[in-house]
Amino acid sequence: MIPIDIRPDKLAQEMLDYSRKLGQGMENLLNAEAIDTGVSPKQPVYKEDKLVLYRYDTPEGVTPSAVPLLIVYALVNRPYMTDIQEDRSTIKGLLATGQDVYLIDWGYPDQADRAINLDDYINGYIDSCVDHLREQLGVDKVNLLGICQGGVFSLMYASMHPDKVNNLVTMVTPVDFKTPDNLLSAWIQNVDVDLAVDTIGNIPGELLNWTFLTLKPYSLMGQKYINMVDMLDDPAKVKNFLRMEKWIFDSPDQAGETFRQFTKDFYQRNGFINGGVMLGEREVDLKNVTCPVLNIYALQDHLVPPDASRPMKGLVGSEDYTELAFPGGHIGIYVSGKAQKEVTPAIGKWLNERS
Amino acid sequence: MSNETFFNNDWFALQRKYWDNWTEMSSKAMGMEGAKLTTPWEGALDHWWQAMSPAAPDASKAFMEKMMEQGKAFFRLAETFGARTGDDNATNGLAFWTKAIEDMQKRFTGSVDDGGNAAQRMMSFWELPLDNWQRMMSSMSPMPGDFLRNMPHDQFKGNLDRVLSAPGLGYTREEQGQYQELMRRAADYQTALQEYTSFYNRLGMKSVERMGGYLQEVIDSGKSIDSARALYDNWVNCCETVYAAEVATPEYAQIHGRLINAQMALKKRMSIMVDEQLGAMNMPSRSEMRTVQDRLQESRRENKQLRNRLHALEKQVAALAGETPSSPPTALKAAAPVVATPAAKAPVRRKPVAKPE
Repeated sequence: MIPIDIRPDKLAQEMLDYSRKLGQGMENLLNAEAIDTGVSPKQPVYKEDKLVLYRYDTPEGVTPSAVPLLIVYALVNRPYMTDIQEDRSTIKGLLATGQDVYLIDWGYPDQADRAINLDDYINGYIDSCVDHLREQLGVDKVNLLGICQGGVFSLMYASMHPDKVNNLVTMVTPVDFKTPDNLLSAWIQNVDVDLAVDTIGNIPGELLNWTFLTLKPYSLMGQKYINMVDMLDDPAKVKNFLRMEKWIFDSPDQAGETFRQFTKDFYQRNGFINGGVMLGEREVDLKNVTCPVLNIYALQDHLVPPDASRPMKGLVGSEDYTELAFPGGHIGIYVSGKAQKEVTPAIGKWLNERS
Repeated sequence: MSNETFFNNDWFALQRKYWDNWTEMSSKAMGMEGAKLTTPWEGALDHWWQAMSPAAPDASKAFMEKMMEQGKAFFRLAETFGARTGDDNATNGLAFWTKAIEDMQKRFTGSVDDGGNAAQRMMSFWELPLDNWQRMMSSMSPMPGDFLRNMPHDQFKGNLDRVLSAPGLGYTREEQGQYQELMRRAADYQTALQEYTSFYNRLGMKSVERMGGYLQEVIDSGKSIDSARALYDNWVNCCETVYAAEVATPEYAQIHGRLINAQMALKKRMSIMVDEQLGAMNMPSRSEMRTVQDRLQESRRENKQLRNRLHALEKQVAALAGETPSSPPTALKAAAPVVATPAAKAPVRRKPVAKPE
């Protein structure tokens, strides 16, 4: 038996089809020049340094909740992932459930921001945004929704300022950074983080991109471009692909001191599990998180494996803790059609029941 | 713009014509007459892209180049098997993979350097992460590319160790010491890079072995792979499976750590020397700038805390006086008022109540 039996004429046809698709589809690719991201209308309501706090417009016919929902995104990549296109928007879904949605855009740190540390981000920037909302809207507390690293930030914030957080939602948020299936964690253990930050200051986005791509290099750097050729004849699919491609490589540099502390405290010392995470002069204790918590993780997440997120239940002090396991990946939890139907409505329902 | 007119009309017409002609020519060359597939697909794709890329807009160029690169990898794989379909022995894919393993073993041991060998050309696929590392480091480095990668290592390192062991002499001994340290760091980085490269070489071999195992399973099942695309997809799966297992080992974590640490140590040494040159020209150095940044950030931190405390006191005083505080904390600078669209309804909220904190 011959395991590879590709007839010459079939091979020739296959290759010609590929070439023709490439040639014909190139027009769609080249016409898709401007890649728009972030589709829902929003207004800036507060600025501090490079941070901008946005409020999303409430859709017609919807009465927004009295308690604002503040979304805290990760420092890695850009927050427009949550609103990447018209039919793939977590923001839009949340607005439809009646949430009054605000989002922190961290901007692009440069070398002047190198000395900003975790304390500045959490007790500085996030607290400023929360206080701004409390003052301007006349509320005591806000709802927080933290995404990935932003979820870690939100947990720390809720533990430090329990009097300002009404409900906490975390999405794909790790709390145990040393689970056996966490490749990122395994790779960083032998990296001299102090040397890296002392040497280059801010950590370049390119370095992070390289790390993420090397999690699945042959699929992410090779196969997906071959697959793309099959979609080239559909302008809408081309545009969607390019939009995602833009997001993947739109990686801000990381403020050096924040990267140093985050990596050492969490990836190397597993600070939520072992304790000892200090913000300024205060230690973070997740037992202080007493508000209701909704923890959402993705079952096929290769960046934040489910086991990295599930221990949150035993760490927080909340008596109202809910988990939602989404059958998808780290990105699919925002952009997949299934997520639009399942995840966002579930968040809205959970919040509405508690706000 | 005139470019746009050309781009929308002439350019597309040109590239379509190119592919149409190419398709026609290729069909004649290999189709009906049953000729052997010897067409240089990869070269054709390359040639086409070189002709067309100058007219492509920058926004799409990088992305299209990735498609070209992977297209060539795909063509390479197909071409390799296509070229062997007329050979009775080679039509057995298992025999090819056995031969490929032998070729690679020779290559990795340095006993062969046949640049035209199909198996060797396919090696570039395994080196995707390495290639990406080099591009990334290149973007962070004053040197073009990764200039140390192909430098002869063993002889270089041996001689270098001897040179670096010599103490500096005379008026410039400090400067000599700096350069010696720089060279030591460069040699360490080269060692780490070659260790990383060797890891990928081993990975390549294991991937080929796994593909051989997969082909055996195909034989056992009585089926066969009958398309280049299926072959490519299975090939990627094999590579990804082997890669996932290998990079999860403590050995790889150490190799990965050593590579980054060695690169950073080299860059740090370069920064120190640049700083010294800047100091000699009476210009601010990077380390001085960092000291200023640290002090400035600390001052801003304290300033913000003080403003927050002041605002809290203002609110307390206002509450005691029975007044409503009229302004947000001085730390908060509203960028713009909340602009509600006509469709938006205002949220229902209670009125602000001043209270001591």
